[in-house]
Amino acid sequence: MKHNEYKRLLQLSLFGELKSEENEILKNHLLTCEECRGELEDQKNLLELISGKQKSEVDEKVLSAARYQLRGALRSEKNNTNVFGSFLENLSQLFATPLKFAVTSTAILLIGVLIGSQLLNKPSSDQLTNQNNGDNRFASFNEDISISNLRFIDSDASDGEVEFTFDASRPVRLKGKVSDPQIQGVLTYAMLNEQNPGSRLNSINVMDTKQTSKYDQDVKNALITVVMTDNNPGVRREALKLMSKFPYDENIKQALLYVITNDSVSGLRIEALNSVIEAANKGYKLDNEEINLFKYKIQQDENPYIKMRSRTILQEYN
Amino acid sequence: MQLTDTDLIVHAQKGDQNAFEELVYRYDRSVLSIALKYAVDEDDAKDLYQEVFIRVYRGLKNFRFQSEFSTWLFRITTNVCLTYKSRSKHHLKVSIDNDFESEENEIRAKEEIVYEGSSPEEISSGADLEEIVNSAVESLSPKQKMTFILKHYEGYKIREIAEIMNCKEGTVKKYLFDAIRNLRKKLSPVYA
Repeated sequence: MKHNEYKRLLQLSLFGELKSEENEILKNHLLTCEECRGELEDQKNLLELISGKQKSEVDEKVLSAARYQLRGALRSEKNNTNVFGSFLENLSQLFATPLKFAVTSTAILLIGVLIGSQLLNKPSSDQLTNQNNGDNRFASFNEDISISNLRFIDSDASDGEVEFTFDASRPVRLKGKVSDPQIQGVLTYAMLNEQNPGSRLNSINVMDTKQTSKYDQDVKNALITVVMTDNNPGVRREALKLMSKFPYDENIKQALLYVITNDSVSGLRIEALNSVIEAANKGYKLDNEEINLFKYKIQQDENPYIKMRSRTILQEYN
Repeated sequence: MQLTDTDLIVHAQKGDQNAFEELVYRYDRSVLSIALKYAVDEDDAKDLYQEVFIRVYRGLKNFRFQSEFSTWLFRITTNVCLTYKSRSKHHLKVSIDNDFESEENEIRAKEEIVYEGSSPEEISSGADLEEIVNSAVESLSPKQKMTFILKHYEGYKIREIAEIMNCKEGTVKKYLFDAIRNLRKKLSPVYA
C-alpha cells in the first residue's frame, strides 16, 4: 500500500469510517511510521480545535424563534395555496363530466367575454399593446395596475416582435370592521410580511381598538412572531401592547419570557415584565420557569429598574 | 402510541396542519443545526430553516415514499444551503458547481479572506481564534463545507451523506479530504 493511501485511511479512521481489517492495517502501519503518527496527531488537533469553536447544541431560543417565523410563513403559504388551490380544484371538478364540461366551457366563455369587454372598453390611452395592428393579444391595462419583474423571453426586435413576462398587480381597497376576520387576515399578513416598518406598525395599531374584543387565533400567533422576531423595536412594542390583551397562556408566557431574556431594548423588557405582573395580579401563579428567570434577572440584567422589579415580583408573588 | 413518519406524512398530505407541524418538530432541530453551522449568522440560518420547510410543505403532496422522509428532508436542506446566498454583504457569495475544478478555483479565490485583518502574530496569540476557525470553515467550497458539517458536526456516515447529497461515496470522501486539507492549510498557524 502506498503512503498516501495510509493517509487516507488515517482521515477515515478519525471519522470512524474504517472497517475492522482496515483499522488493523492502519494500526500496524502506525507502529512503524513516525510520519503517519505525526499526521494523526496533527489531524486530531485540527478536529479538536474546530469542534471546540463551534456550538454543537441548538439554542432553544433560536429554535423557538425559527419555529414562530416558520409558522407565519406557513400561514402565508397556506393562504396563497388556498386561493389558487381551491380555484384549480373547483376548475378540475367542473370538468369532471362531459355535461359539466359543456356547461363550464360556456360559463368560462361568457366570463371571458365579460372580462374582455370590460378591459377593451377602457379609454384608449390605457392600451399599451398592439394598437397599430389591432391584435389585442393582451387587452389593455388599467391605470391601477403596477408592473414589475419584467423578463424578456425574446428581446430580439429585428423581426419586429418581442416577447416578455411580467407581474401585474392591482391595488385592492377594503373597508370593514376590525373584528371582521377578512380584515384581520390582511392586517395579520401585513404585520408579518410588509417590508415597510411603518405599515407593519399601522397594521398592529389599527387592530388595537376598544371596539375590538375578538381576535382571530392567527392574530395572536402573528403578534407572538412579531414580538420575538421583528427587527424594528417600535413594531415589537406595539405588538407587545396588543398581545397583552390576550389571555395569559403558555404561548404568551413563552413570548414574554423570550422578550425579557433576549430583547436588547430595556423598555421592551420592562413592558414584557409588566405584562407578567399584570397576569400575576389577576391571579396567575408564577411557575419555576418564571421564578428562575426573575432570579437570573436580579443578578444579571444591566438595567437597574428591571433588577428591582424582578426582586419585587419574587417578593410579592412567589 | 406515537404516529410514524408515514402516518404523519399521509395526514399532512390530506391537509392536516397539526400532522405537518409534528413532522417538522421531529426533524427541525437537526435542520437548524446544519443551517446554523452552514450560514454566516443566526438570521441567515433561520432563513435557511424556513426555506427548507416551506419547500417541504410545497413538495410533501408529491412525496411518494420512494426514500426515507429524513433523507428527502436533508437532501432539501443541503440543496437550500448549497444555493444560499448570504444577506450579509460582507460575506462571500457562493454558487453551486458540479466539478471539482470549479470548487478548487472558488477556494483559491476565497483564501485571502480567511486571514484578512489578522496578522500571523494575532493568529498565533489566539486573539480572535474563534473568528479565524469560523472563517476557515466558511472559506471552504459549499460542497466541502456541507460534507464536513454533515460528517464532523452531525455525525452522518459517508454512505448517508452520499445519499443525502445524491452523489457517490467516493465523491463525498473527496470533498471531505479536500476540506481537511484546506482547513489544515488555513489553520496550521493556530494549532500546529
